[in-house]
Amino acid sequence: MSLTIEPAGTSAAEASLPAPRWRHRHLLDLDGLDWSEIEVLLRTAEDMRGVLARPIARVPALRGRTVTILFYEASTRTRVSFEVAAKNLSADVVNITASASSVSKGESLVDTVRTIESLGANMLVMRHATSGAPYLAAETFSGSVVNGGDGWHAHPSQGLLDLFTMRRHLGDLRGRKVAIVGDILHSRVARSNIWALTAAGAELWLCGPATLLRGFEAWAGSWRGTAGGPDGRKGFVVTSDLRAALRDADVVMTLRIQRERQAGGLLPSLREYAARFGITRERLRGARPDALVMHPGPMNEGVEIAPDVAVGSGSVISEQVRNGVAVRMAILHLLSGTLAGSTAPVEGTARG
Amino acid sequence: MAEVEAVVAPGETIAELDVTRAWLIDPASGREGPGEIVVEEGRVGAVTWLDGTEADGIAPDGVIVAPGFVDLHAHFREPGFEQAETIATGSAAAAHGGFTTVCLMPNTRPAIDEAAVLVAVGQAAAASGSPVRVLAYGAVTHGRAGEELAALGELADAGAIGFSDDGSPVRSAGVLRNALLYAAMLDLPIVDHPEEQGLTGGAEANEGLVATVLGLKGWPAAAEAAAVARDIAVLADVVATEPRARLHLTHLSVAESIDLVRRAKAAGLPVTCDVTPHHLALTDEWIAGARRYAWQAEGVNPDPWRDRALVAGPFDTSLRVNPPLRRPADVMACLAGLRDGTVDAIATDHAPHTRVDKDVEFGLAANGISGIETALGLLLEAVAAGQVPLGRVIAALTVGPARILGSRLPAPIGLNEGAPADLMIFDAGDRWEVNETSLRSLGHNSPLLGRALPGRVLLTVAAGRVAYLDEADPDRD
Ligand SMILES: [Zn+2]
Repeated sequence: MSLTIEPAGTSAAEASLPAPRWRHRHLLDLDGLDWSEIEVLLRTAEDMRGVLARPIARVPALRGRTVTILFYEASTRTRVSFEVAAKNLSADVVNITASASSVSKGESLVDTVRTIESLGANMLVMRHATSGAPYLAAETFSGSVVNGGDGWHAHPSQGLLDLFTMRRHLGDLRGRKVAIVGDILHSRVARSNIWALTAAGAELWLCGPATLLRGFEAWAGSWRGTAGGPDGRKGFVVTSDLRAALRDADVVMTLRIQRERQAGGLLPSLREYAARFGITRERLRGARPDALVMHPGPMNEGVEIAPDVAVGSGSVISEQVRNGVAVRMAILHLLSGTLAGSTAPVEGTARG
Repeated sequence: MAEVEAVVAPGETIAELDVTRAWLIDPASGREGPGEIVVEEGRVGAVTWLDGTEADGIAPDGVIVAPGFVDLHAHFREPGFEQAETIATGSAAAAHGGFTTVCLMPNTRPAIDEAAVLVAVGQAAAASGSPVRVLAYGAVTHGRAGEELAALGELADAGAIGFSDDGSPVRSAGVLRNALLYAAMLDLPIVDHPEEQGLTGGAEANEGLVATVLGLKGWPAAAEAAAVARDIAVLADVVATEPRARLHLTHLSVAESIDLVRRAKAAGLPVTCDVTPHHLALTDEWIAGARRYAWQAEGVNPDPWRDRALVAGPFDTSLRVNPPLRRPADVMACLAGLRDGTVDAIATDHAPHTRVDKDVEFGLAANGISGIETALGLLLEAVAAGQVPLGRVIAALTVGPARILGSRLPAPIGLNEGAPADLMIFDAGDRWEVNETSLRSLGHNSPLLGRALPGRVLLTVAAGRVAYLDEADPDRD
């Protein structure tokens, strides 16, 4: 494990934020949040965009708190986004890149989290290749754990920033059609978007090759039943018919296709994927003319998305990155209200 | 009220036991009802069945006496993994669960693939001082590697009760065919763990809604059904020329497998099977954080998120087991198989693990549930919910496995006057809490920790000696 400690600077131009009221100690998934809580997060992110627009984008909300960023998977985008978010809130940031070697040396996640805690961390942002790993960390860690992506399971900050970005352009998402195209099976982004977008009332379509959709039809079917989904959610549509998925879509989100899917026997080739499912300008004509184009990154241009689409008129891909900082500031700020020394009421379990 | 009066010392021959006005279950004679039993100097003195007014007020909701249970499938981890369990601690756990005979799987280190390892296991059992009978399978293949046959004949001579590569399936149909033929010559069964590994690489949980939502790699029902179908096809081929061949399929978990076995039995094939207590009660919903039994979730389309059934955090590694916990519909099919006799036996697949192997990420956690002590409690929950008659459960824990073991079981099952006492007594009306203190196993990897289960075991007597005595409540009389 390698450690870099970067103390946060302070600024005279800081303005304070209202003390947060939030009952969840951790943010591990979006399945435990109701719509009113998601709205609180989105409103707070809007406030944070205001902070980001200031000449000195820094508030003292987390001064004296240490945010440790523990990533077991390589990721520049999400790690830097959390780091910038934490620093904008005046937190001290500790970055830990746990290589595969520290895992193979037998240091368990529980040991690592205990070490991080004894080094004074108050909040832990974690990325891990195994679904559920942040729940194990949350059992051990006395502060707040933020899931920065776990296996195929969840990427709640991404789901929220996608929702935030869509709402900024489209307002209320009820009745708006969102098509997510790509490797749904292995995507924590898709799963978190299912929870976020169905809560928002969007008409959600998931599209990809049949091998990369397995299981999702049953999930959708469960929510299409007479009882609906959790909290009155409606079902969503699962299809390999790209034309149908894109037809009149308000939002088209593509997901990264990884080369391993070819080696794993799930796809004949990336070339064939690009030919059948790649989002090109031609195919995008089936969507609404002003459709937003989104991608959680990093992109394989020419595979899941054509280069001219990635930078085309509807693309909000770089805005997603900017909004990511605001949303992560909102998450850290709200959770910090639950830390020891804070006065907000807290729910302590990993579900909370 | 039932009365249990006993003069006993743990480990010693039971001097005197007098149980009056209890509920007796003797699947060997097919009898069940109010009765009394006397044991003197380790032998059953008298079994009296009560009728008419004498039987008034005696119901199967209090003290129950049954023959000692037989577990066809347990892992006591010795030799090689003694931090997880030893033959001594495993035997103590077995007795606490009401078991007087256990059949150990050979996936130790070294594997029981030659007679010397089997002999060492027998010596450890003798040295443990426990009267619980410890029997063991030999491996089917050398090192359980799935290629060359293990020393089957020598293992049989040393007392192996059958052969299994459990932990893994017998990998190739060709090896299985030869193993069935060779074991038939030795008059022993092949016990297969049915899993088509081409479908289960990296699998973490049952393939279904829960795994999809939680982002866990699925273990599809088809992987078990495909293996069961393969095994039955190979068995049919072998018995055409070798009628003594016998196949036992262990820890079946999906509806399709139960159906395949039901049809194979109807066709007259010599196949038997067992199901674990956890596959008869728990479901994959528990991994999401639900804590309802299968019959409480039964419905066209159970969804623990929608049903607001999530009461605990997700990804509890004590629920990681192979085969995985299945859908409610599969549990209901296993219960139906138990009721109609398709399922011959209930076997625990007791799989203790250390904290080091379980306090890790879900996908990295060892597979297995420490279950020999909670088997009765879980099954009594199913009985209380009307899913299966108590007598059928007790039969599947006693005469069912005994029939599969045949002459390799050293003593006949039953409450037999004059025979060495081999019985267990439990109080169906008394609950006990599963926790790190109450469990005798070194493996505390149970999803039932913190839960109160029905059916406190009061006394277990194996071969006339006291294997377990509930000391928490000495005032039984
Ligand atoms: Zn097995």
